Amino acid sequence: MNRTTTRPITIVTGFLGSGKTTLLRRLLASPEMHDTAVLVNEFGEVGLDHHLVQRLDEQTILLGHGCVCCTVRQDLVQALTTLLDRDQRGIIAPLRRIVIETTGLADPAPLVFTVVADPMLQHHFRIDSVVTTVDAVNGQGHLDRHPVSRKQVALADEIIITKTDLARPDTVATLRERLRRDNPAARMTTAILGDLDPHWLLGPQASHPTVARTTATVSPELFQRTPRPPGAPHPHGTEIRSLALTFTQPLDWIAFSVWLSMLLHAHGEAVLRVKGLLNVGATGPVVLNGVQHILHPPEHLAVWPDEDQRSHLIFILHALEPEAIKTSLQAFQHLLGAHPTVDSD
Amino acid sequence: MCVLCWQFLTESHWTDRRFEDNDPTTATAGSDHERTRRRDRHHRTQVLNQILTHYGLRLDDWHSRSYLLSDRKGKTAIVQDLGVLWPMAQQLTGRLLDPLDPWLLARLSHSHAGREPVV
Repeated sequence: MNRTTTRPITIVTGFLGSGKTTLLRRLLASPEMHDTAVLVNEFGEVGLDHHLVQRLDEQTILLGHGCVCCTVRQDLVQALTTLLDRDQRGIIAPLRRIVIETTGLADPAPLVFTVVADPMLQHHFRIDSVVTTVDAVNGQGHLDRHPVSRKQVALADEIIITKTDLARPDTVATLRERLRRDNPAARMTTAILGDLDPHWLLGPQASHPTVARTTATVSPELFQRTPRPPGAPHPHGTEIRSLALTFTQPLDWIAFSVWLSMLLHAHGEAVLRVKGLLNVGATGPVVLNGVQHILHPPEHLAVWPDEDQRSHLIFILHALEPEAIKTSLQAFQHLLGAHPTVDSD
Repeated sequence: MCVLCWQFLTESHWTDRRFEDNDPTTATAGSDHERTRRRDRHHRTQVLNQILTHYGLRLDDWHSRSYLLSDRKGKTAIVQDLGVLWPMAQQLTGRLLDPLDPWLLARLSHSHAGREPVV
């Protein structure tokens, strides 16, 4: 079964009270969501009125090496297997999409790992996107005080700022700048009371939506839109940092994959996201999309999406200096066949 | 695709995948696809040896199916792919193989000294 027949999974995450359920309730009311199954960790105060809502009772298995991102969510394996069985036996209408709502304190990485690594699930499902809601009123405080909130943002493909009607415009603007710096690779929008066009989030579905999203978000122009304010200190220590690189020359894919696999082995927990569109000297680029130790199988595309055929690579890092990545790539340049230039860090 | 928990993965490692893998007509042994795959393995072995040599390790392709990873004392391990290689290399050497390690970067720069920088 190839990826065009796998069912896309959207993970909706966000800190406590950031409006995940409100967003979902509005989205699920639209006719396009009729053939979507919803898996929730808890039934919150805002009830979901949808015919295919199922609860996940968290059962986690920490694998041998103990890294958090490589935790198998056995409850998710069970729930998706059951859904698949009911779908294939015709008990429910054919499923087109799955939405998983996490708890406000959940790290979404184990959910991604569970689907990507499970020998059965990987043939029937794929992670389409991680959607993170951020409360415009309390979001800054959550990001300041709760590392899991920063991680939910760092892992997002889509960020939705909620409750913007309750916050001052300058507060929203400051939050937006911070989110853009913490995760320049994510698309961002705002929603009041979950009022968001489902098409923005879920479609219209291209044949390779993940590829389309990656292509749209690795552009270096994103960094130029939100430079760090003049005089603002660079964060250090345990802060989340991002790094955008461009390679003008084609990269040696074999050498680059050796370097990246070595990096993820040594520092996978610190590489919260890696996204890229790489020129490897073929007719089309290689699309990279990774979350910590977990790398989605790289897509080798037949053609380029636009005229820019340089390689663009974005890292979102936790407790790892972007300079170290740049220095390493420079030292590896003779193996890689290309030299990086830094767009922003 | 977890580089630490490789034993749970049943499909080919991501570093072994190519665009041609999506086309079933190219999977025949002896075809261009197979030749490309062998050429890639050969090149991968060469690249890896330029790194592993700094740790006293050597990698050899074994019938285009696995690799043999050896240290200078003759200890040898069979590794399937890069998901297995790095943890095994760490086990053989007792140290983390880290592409950010200034010691390794200095060794690489020294071994490439005199070559023109890549533009």
